[in-house]
Amino acid sequence: MQKHFALGAPPLVISQPTLSVKNLTVEYKARRGAVQAVRNVSFDVQRGEVLALIGESGSGKTTLGLALVGLLPSTARISSGTITYARFKSTAPNGRAIPERTIDVLKLSQNQLREFRWKECAMVFQGALNALNPVLRISDQFADTAKAHGYLQGKALQERAAHVLTLVRLDPERVWRAYPHELSGGMRQRVLIALGLLLEPQLLILDEPTTALDILTQRSIMDVLKELRQRLDFSLIFISHDLSLAAELADRVATVYAGKIVETGDVYTMFKNPRHPYTIGLINAVPTLAGTKEELTSIPGSPPDLINLPSGCKFHPRCPLADEQTRSIEPEMEEIAAGHWVMCWHWRTAREALHVYKEKAVVGAES
Amino acid sequence: MSTISVPVTTERPVSFPWLRRITSNFLLRRLLKALFTIWTVTTLIFFVIRAMPGSPVDIFVNDLVLKGLTEEEAMRRAASLLHIDLSEPLPKQYVEFLGNLARGDLGISYINRGQEVSTLIAQRLPWTLFSVGTSLIISFFLGIFLGMIIAYKRDTWLDHLLTNIAAGLDAIPAYMTAIVLIILISLVWKIVPAGELRGSLSAGIKPGFTFDFFGDVLKHVALPALVYILASVGSWMLTMKSSTVSTLGEDYVTVAKARGLPESRIITAYVGRNASLPLFTRFALSIAFILGGSVIIEKIFTYQGIGLLLTQALYSRDYPVMQGIFLVTTIAVVFSNAIADLLYGFLDPRIRVQGEGN
Amino acid sequence: MAAITAPFGSAISETGKTFKLIARNPASFIGLLVLVVITIVSLVGPMVIPPQNHANVAEILEGPSSRHILGTDFQGSDNLALLVYGGKDILEVAFVAGLLTTLLAVAVGSVSAFLGGIVDTVLMELVNIWLTIPQFPLLAILATMVKLSDIFLLAVLLALLGWAGLARQIRSQVLSLKQRDYVEAAMTLNLGTPHIIFREMLPNMMSFVAISLIFAATSAIYQQTSLVFLGLVPFSSANWGTTLSLAYTKGAIYQSDAAWTMLAPVGAIALFQLALVSLSRSLDEVFNPRLRTSV
Repeated sequence: MQKHFALGAPPLVISQPTLSVKNLTVEYKARRGAVQAVRNVSFDVQRGEVLALIGESGSGKTTLGLALVGLLPSTARISSGTITYARFKSTAPNGRAIPERTIDVLKLSQNQLREFRWKECAMVFQGALNALNPVLRISDQFADTAKAHGYLQGKALQERAAHVLTLVRLDPERVWRAYPHELSGGMRQRVLIALGLLLEPQLLILDEPTTALDILTQRSIMDVLKELRQRLDFSLIFISHDLSLAAELADRVATVYAGKIVETGDVYTMFKNPRHPYTIGLINAVPTLAGTKEELTSIPGSPPDLINLPSGCKFHPRCPLADEQTRSIEPEMEEIAAGHWVMCWHWRTAREALHVYKEKAVVGAES
Repeated sequence: MSTISVPVTTERPVSFPWLRRITSNFLLRRLLKALFTIWTVTTLIFFVIRAMPGSPVDIFVNDLVLKGLTEEEAMRRAASLLHIDLSEPLPKQYVEFLGNLARGDLGISYINRGQEVSTLIAQRLPWTLFSVGTSLIISFFLGIFLGMIIAYKRDTWLDHLLTNIAAGLDAIPAYMTAIVLIILISLVWKIVPAGELRGSLSAGIKPGFTFDFFGDVLKHVALPALVYILASVGSWMLTMKSSTVSTLGEDYVTVAKARGLPESRIITAYVGRNASLPLFTRFALSIAFILGGSVIIEKIFTYQGIGLLLTQALYSRDYPVMQGIFLVTTIAVVFSNAIADLLYGFLDPRIRVQGEGN
Repeated sequence: MAAITAPFGSAISETGKTFKLIARNPASFIGLLVLVVITIVSLVGPMVIPPQNHANVAEILEGPSSRHILGTDFQGSDNLALLVYGGKDILEVAFVAGLLTTLLAVAVGSVSAFLGGIVDTVLMELVNIWLTIPQFPLLAILATMVKLSDIFLLAVLLALLGWAGLARQIRSQVLSLKQRDYVEAAMTLNLGTPHIIFREMLPNMMSFVAISLIFAATSAIYQQTSLVFLGLVPFSSANWGTTLSLAYTKGAIYQSDAAWTMLAPVGAIALFQLALVSLSRSLDEVFNPRLRTSV
């Protein structure tokens, strides 16, 4: 049993986190057996915080996102854990936010869950080019969303929508009466983010918001997100495979491997002092302008089969530091510094072994 | 930044830009296409009827010669019935033929005591349009409704049951359904004697706004309409099923759920509306198919529509009538297809701005 | 290189695979079985069972009995024997018309998809126009002009009328195949159009072509029996449509005694159609679950 760890919460602030996930396990039914997409994961997201969940495709991070808004497909089953949101009243006079009530997502009825979605927690999906109904105008899609949650109507809605559209640097005049196909991919993605902001949710989940967009559009979306972060008061979970994007935006980073968070810490620590071989591998895979081609390495091997997980540490087949202990016993999360948690037997030596890792990786890639 | 692909010049502000966009592009384009189709078909008919060796005109003239007329008299007789001067060169005959058509002059029936073909058709057409049109609309919406139910309940017993029924209905020719229905209703279950179901009106009922008239019309149309519905609903169901299944996998449906939209709104405006779009492209096929089938169905039920008129014309080799019915039927298909296309354009904004064709 | 030519090697083994898949799917297996039985009975039956060409006044319009399992018609002929005799013409026309329709559709569809441009536009516009013409009335009118006593001629006419819808489907199938990696590779390697069509694409389209053939055959049966039913095709021999037509003109539909004479050919045609369709539907599900959604 894994103990719950409070992710880098500053110890002096006695505030309830916006989102608290405890021991969450999600499985899919498949013909070959159970797909263990999320395994006993716990984390918190504080008010106003940006958490980046980083991992390769197939690491279970999207499943995690879907579970947070109760949108898992019918083949999935949450076998354990809790997901709790704290709904805050507007900030009190002394600047502190007062929790109004807490919401246990897994206990909500279908209708309560429907009301909860988007109003408390909006999720913008991967592949957003097709995320808007092609036969409805943008205005209708805003109206649909507003109506479903008993939000503003008519003129007031249009004003509010113009406000959020401006926030994502769109021209409301141009977009409001348009159909999705009349907008470019980047515009559609920003419309969706604006739609996500419409109801002032406390948490926004962005699942690979820039994949499938060209590099310039990606850039402008990232700029929009950075700006929003500064101007608005909401928490953000940023799911991506791209560590460099996370570096721009996140307060905290968590790397996800085989359905589990393997290392987490504030963004500075994670880049300057990474301790898990997987995190180190991901950082080495990020190209830098200064770096030469030789320095760029990929992690050998591929993500594990989530039905037949390896024994011991799930990363051991790809890990240059693997030994007998690694192969037989899965390590526990360990807090190695304030707010820096790692799940590795060799976290002490991993950094020094970094260059060994890289050499081995280069050899492995060439053979 | 703008990637809009609307080829409309926006020099002056227009009060209804969307209306203008449709009229300047879509409506007009669709109408021209319909007219082009009709022209192609009429040209085809002209050359088949007139220019082919062993054409109906030659056959008719030969028949008359065999009956003892001189060739010249026979030609004159044929010409007077077809309203075309057969001694003129072909191109001139063709122009004359098109001119006649434009005036609604379809010639004179060989058989029915010299009646105008257009009058004959005008008497019969409303019955066919009524029975076929109503059935097609009912089966279209029924098919959409049932197809969506199957898609939502897929891999349950209901799915297997309805899918197999739909595939069966799709496979069995309409006239067989008609025969089996008559045998069941009047011979096996003995609900109504078969004789009473014949025709499109009972003897002695006068057309008018009376309860008797409408009741009688409905009584006679019920069985043919049921046959048309059964014959076409299967294919609508199956198309709608597969279309709905693929729509349910679209991102915008998942996002709509994430947006917390009520299920009723998602089913109608997000799934239903998008999933039904491909069905509109099958409309031409379906109406042409049902109208074709009406030839036999109207014979079986002795329903007084143009299908029955065509059968009679076929038996008596009444070519002006055949030609007229074929033309009118095609025009009906072309126009219902144009209406379906316009409706499609209304439901799917992407079609309106999409330039030429598909 | 090996990957590029791989689909060709699988052309033959795919046939074997197809049969295995059919055998696993009960609906298609039953469909195939019914087809085989009907075909064998229709071809071999007439050699075994004596012809029903003499009126038998003693046994007119009887119900089913041990002597006549499906009863007798207005001439006292055995309905089952009529069925056995009546299948051959229908099967022949269905097969020939199905084959010709498919050939025509494959030709037009692949030319359209391959050449693209103006040829594609013109051909597809032609298809669209052709599809708005109600086929059966045209066929019926043509039947009054051309003597359709020849089975082959009828099949040709059916193919000439019915190619359009399939051609459109074949075109979209070819277009999607054109974008597969191995076809693109073959194009880049300049292996030539015949090579690409016959070695790369056709083997991968065989299942679809087979389905199209079945589809064309069902349509041919529908049209042919309809023509016979209306009495527009002077078939000399016995035929399910003829039996039906004769029974109808003798007023069988209004007499309970004669219901069997009508139901027998109706049942035979319906069974044959259902078998064809269930076979093609399962082939469709096995090979292209999404293909037919956008006709």
